[in-house]
Amino acid sequence: MPIKHSYVDLLETNNFIQKWADSFFFQCTTRTVQESKLFPVNPYITMSYYNAWARYPEVLRKVDAAMPAEVIGDRARQVGTYVNTISMGVGPQFYLGGRQWMIDMGLLKPTDAVEDVIDVIDFARRLNMSYHRSENHIMPSDGNHKDQIHTARQTEFFEEHAIGVTPGDQLHTAFTAFMAAVSAYGFLSHCECRLSFCNHGPYRTKDGNQMLVRDALDLSECDFPWMDGSASEIEHNNLTIPVIMKDTDFKMVDDWGSFEASPSYDNSKLVAVGLFTSDWLSDGYIPVHMGDATELAEYFDDQREKMEAATADMWRMMAGWTREQMVDAGLLVYYAILKDVAHFAGVYEQSDWFDVDERTQLFRPLMNDEYGNSAIAELVGLISLSSQDRGPHRMARYSRETGEMWTSIPYSVLADDNWTAGVGPMGAGSSSLPPKTAKWTTTQGKLTQDECNAAAKAFHSAKFDLRYYDDDVWAKNNPDAEQTTTLAAR
Amino acid sequence: MTVKTQGVGPYPDKWARESATPLVERYHSAVRALAAEKFERSGMSWEEAVEAGVLLPTREELEQIEADVLAEGYRFDVSATISLKEEPDKYKPLAGITDSGEHETDEEGRPIVGTGDNVFKAPADITGTARYISDVDRVMEMLTEGVPDNTVAIIDDSGGTLTAPILGDFTAVVCMGGTVRSHLGILTREYNVPCLMNAELDGLADGDEVLVEYSKPAADAYADADAAAHHRVRIVKVS
Repeated sequence: MPIKHSYVDLLETNNFIQKWADSFFFQCTTRTVQESKLFPVNPYITMSYYNAWARYPEVLRKVDAAMPAEVIGDRARQVGTYVNTISMGVGPQFYLGGRQWMIDMGLLKPTDAVEDVIDVIDFARRLNMSYHRSENHIMPSDGNHKDQIHTARQTEFFEEHAIGVTPGDQLHTAFTAFMAAVSAYGFLSHCECRLSFCNHGPYRTKDGNQMLVRDALDLSECDFPWMDGSASEIEHNNLTIPVIMKDTDFKMVDDWGSFEASPSYDNSKLVAVGLFTSDWLSDGYIPVHMGDATELAEYFDDQREKMEAATADMWRMMAGWTREQMVDAGLLVYYAILKDVAHFAGVYEQSDWFDVDERTQLFRPLMNDEYGNSAIAELVGLISLSSQDRGPHRMARYSRETGEMWTSIPYSVLADDNWTAGVGPMGAGSSSLPPKTAKWTTTQGKLTQDECNAAAKAFHSAKFDLRYYDDDVWAKNNPDAEQTTTLAAR
Repeated sequence: MTVKTQGVGPYPDKWARESATPLVERYHSAVRALAAEKFERSGMSWEEAVEAGVLLPTREELEQIEADVLAEGYRFDVSATISLKEEPDKYKPLAGITDSGEHETDEEGRPIVGTGDNVFKAPADITGTARYISDVDRVMEMLTEGVPDNTVAIIDDSGGTLTAPILGDFTAVVCMGGTVRSHLGILTREYNVPCLMNAELDGLADGDEVLVEYSKPAADAYADADAAAHHRVRIVKVS
């Protein structure tokens, strides 16, 4: 029996598979090769793709049933969390990467696990459409590399709260030192991965400057078990740092939330800065120690010192890990890239996101350093796997070569019964890392997993109820309406 | 290693080709061959075989694929030092800094021992002591005892984690890999620690006094190879 989806369903799925392939190729070939003498980075990336392939269909269906992906995207636009441009854009890539390897090894055909692929892509498509609703794009590359997540009311909120700085003053000095410390801390806590940071914007400000909104995420005791203890002194799990710069054009904010500026980003051009926290339990952004410049500067200094201590502490612990523990930690950072959707939906379970599936474990014997480096290079850079070749007439978008990164679903599944539905339920999971024991740091305090889920399910917001009015096109013609006033209320 | 494609896959591929790297070709073709054998033996339709999971390799079969490669005398390139530490017999030893014995000289006749791409333009060139940092033990030593004054860290890792707890204490950095966009490049910019990425070194020894031209313009990440080569920053051995 053919698959029970319409031709249009499959056209849309394949369209998004190709869209993600093009985005990932551009990013992987214009950014940087990831490497580390500390972590076996590419072996863990490779393993993470298998874990995504084995587990995303079930965990995302569970999330979608509790809270539809498009609602999560709407919620996420109000706060700074892991449900952001890089994570929601890259998550489906990891899943498709696992599929591509399975095809390349002859373990699947492109007609296999079709229901799974359609569901995962559909989840990601709805999530990204609603998250990027303010400019009606799905990815920053759709908008010539800009990423305006916020509506005008949110931009005005940040602009009005921002505290002015002058190069060399106390706040400027503290901010600059803090950004260096939080960057090093984020790379380490994320095992060399950039997921601790995401930027969106730029937004024009009333005085003719540009604002970039910089999110630093999962800073305190959170989902990552290895941050228990080391990160206990970090007060907030997520920090959103709007920066207003003069004489700076943020000419690119890309699909990974990275930016390029012209002239180059230079802290001497910083005009004003803010600091906020938020998460999947907060009703928008909460100002952090923004009473005045001195208070904010002292807080930056305090948190910088604590992050430097946490960096040293965590580094000593990680330096004593076995290779298997390093691979597990890194693969779980990558695989768990979509984890915050489960937090929003109130169905987060640590074992869903921080266990290595038994089907992933199967491939561990292949994961020496050289194989990991070569496999990643071929899959996302060279596009040179046998399964990626589409024949001599094909011409890919950027490379103009015959290979395409991700394989689409053959339309034959609409006409015959030669297809399979999915990978089945999640297999047993395990990890070589110590289990998580600390509570989660949230805007509602330190909570257990059950308390986190209960609070997420109980979340209610009068502003969120007005989300269909949270639209600059509507607000433009209804500036004095009750809905506009309620949404703009501080 | 000689590429030895292992048998044929379990289903036709009109546009099959060899993978670009020998290890991927060797491993993937071997798994394909195993899948083909298992499919043949199963007597099932393809869809039945996939759903029953009979095509998946066992852990032992995958271990054998690696063992066969090692038995041919092949040793893997290493990235993370933990890999070499735990399984030294599987990996090639880490390469140090080469010394060809032939160096160009600067305007004052001093040997140029390397060049690299400048992450940002510093106010002035820097003279310091080159200290090679390539493993956890060296970082731990500096974390415990402090980074010596005037250290120009010579790092063969473009990541941001190996030196994360001591990065801000370096006077400057020279990285033998990556690009100006690598994590180490990003972090050194944030710390305002002058840094060269993608450095090519020849004849530099641990403890040498070096002058690095960090006051030169930053490298253009989009420059073509010729333009990039023209803007390389020099590392000069001064004693």
